Amino acid sequence: MKEDLPNNFEMELRRRLRPVDAPAGFAGRVMAALPAKTQPIVASSPRAARPARQFGVPAALAASLLGAVLFGMHVANVRLIEEQKGIAASQELMQALRVTSQKLDLAYEAVNSPPTAGDQENRS
Amino acid sequence: MNARIGFVAATLLLAGPAWAAPKGQLLIPEFSALADKASETVNVTLDGNILGMGCRFLNAEDPEQAKAKKLCTSLTGIYVRHYTFDTDYAYPKSDIDGVKRQLSAPGWSPIVEARSNKENTNVNVFVLISGEKAQGLAIIASEPREFTIVNIVGNIDLEQLHDLEGNFGVPDLQIETGRKPAPAKPPAPEKTK
Repeated sequence: MKEDLPNNFEMELRRRLRPVDAPAGFAGRVMAALPAKTQPIVASSPRAARPARQFGVPAALAASLLGAVLFGMHVANVRLIEEQKGIAASQELMQALRVTSQKLDLAYEAVNSPPTAGDQENRS
Repeated sequence: MNARIGFVAATLLLAGPAWAAPKGQLLIPEFSALADKASETVNVTLDGNILGMGCRFLNAEDPEQAKAKKLCTSLTGIYVRHYTFDTDYAYPKSDIDGVKRQLSAPGWSPIVEARSNKENTNVNVFVLISGEKAQGLAIIASEPREFTIVNIVGNIDLEQLHDLEGNFGVPDLQIETGRKPAPAKPPAPEKTK
């Protein structure tokens, strides 16, 4: 009898723990019982957020200031290059006009000088 | 068929530079070989934005530059090739002929063609007239030791060119401007060369 007890107990346990199918509509009822939306739980760490809040605004200001300084330097540099190009171009322009005037002067001299034998002049 | 395509391609290639260049602009070679031989070189190519920039930077307070400023605002290009050599005729005549040939195109008219056998100097001045305005000016001058090509492109106001007289030593070539001749000007101060 004593030997049968564990067997009975085991059999009873197996019987009770046997897999059984869920009653019809069980899954639907469980799902219906759940809340419609669950808010994710965000773990906040006040200590971790503190440095960003503490240095965020000054850092942004410093970045803006640095950006403005760099932009200003770039604009000044572009203006300087443009000015140098412009001065060089104006010097070339004056040089070109001087050469033009010299050659027109030569034409003038050739036209106005008394013709010698072998010289040809044609003016329209 | 291939020969025909080749002919069309060759024609387009040859014609390309002609229609690509603005009216009044000559196709002036770079003359890089001449630059190596020359003792003095002036190579000026001013067009588009660079010409406009150069014009803007001229000093309006300076009378010489003020007149140049007035003239250059309507120009679209200034091209000057000027070479001075230590020996006579160090440049090939074919270089000049190549540029001269372009001036036989319709529209270009010679104003001055002067040749002095005594000094071996040749000066040719051409203008490209379109409507009432000169659209281009070309000067080809050759001396034994000098060779110059000037090409000015744009609306060249001949009256403004007249106004330059005495400022850069530009002489009165009595270019027709359609206005009555101005009273004789006092002689321009002698230029220092």
